[in-house]
Amino acid sequence: MSAFARDEGIYSLDLTIDEAHILINLVEQLLELLGEGDFNHHYDDSDPFAQLMAQLKAAPDEVVVPEDPVLLRLLPNAYADPEAAADFRRYTEPTLRGKKKRTLAQVRQALEIIVDEDRAGVVEDLDSEVWLMAINDLRLALSIRLEINPDSFDHFESLPDEDPQKAIYAVYFWLGWLQESLLELLAQG
Amino acid sequence: MATDTMIESDLDISQLVDKPWVTIVWDDPVNLMSYVTFVFIKLFGFTQERAHELMMQVHNEGRAAVSTGSREEMERDVQRLHEHGLWATLQRDDKI
Repeated sequence: MSAFARDEGIYSLDLTIDEAHILINLVEQLLELLGEGDFNHHYDDSDPFAQLMAQLKAAPDEVVVPEDPVLLRLLPNAYADPEAAADFRRYTEPTLRGKKKRTLAQVRQALEIIVDEDRAGVVEDLDSEVWLMAINDLRLALSIRLEINPDSFDHFESLPDEDPQKAIYAVYFWLGWLQESLLELLAQG
Repeated sequence: MATDTMIESDLDISQLVDKPWVTIVWDDPVNLMSYVTFVFIKLFGFTQERAHELMMQVHNEGRAAVSTGSREEMERDVQRLHEHGLWATLQRDDKI
């Protein structure tokens, strides 16, 4: 299984073509959910993952509490009090959203090279913290769609192999493993 | 304008003295323990030990106060925690 590597302070990630496709599909879907649509996406609309991030509803023009639970997890309320939360969101959410989009877009750009050549490849000289945050946001997004809780591992393990939820959970699990491999390198300083 | 009176009535002295706002990080079943520790060190400059201790508090007790200060400072901390995908809120310290 692919993992992050570091050589003389330079981080890289060796990916199979399937892994690169899964990653870019998820990144593109999350970008679209966050309101960034200015690119040609790579995923096929018949892909089992294609509808994962599909928005529940078109995003409103004004800054309000998101209805989509994935967006609410990525752009959460800062206050328990709804009025204070709405005020804070009005001033800060566009910045937060913009940062998340830029992070994902950087990862997408790196993956695009591999995917467009349609062969396994190494993402060279990647920004470790950008990838760390992007993978974390992908895991958060998937966790909402999969309704992850502390007992999820046993639940998904018990599903028949042909259940599409099981394949999606496998990707979620893989992303956690990938993130952990990067964190281990970062912790070594 | 009666400036002196304005200052007296508008200024909340306790806000200056007690730094009464606090940033809370809440537990979730997704963020990796190693990731939460990493983010605490990165954003707040904690030692490894302190970051680990706070992460364990979030994990075991469901939440932990990670910083205190003025409302503006706590809003900045919450925003940075949200950038990193941690579930954080701010509130007055007396609600803890």
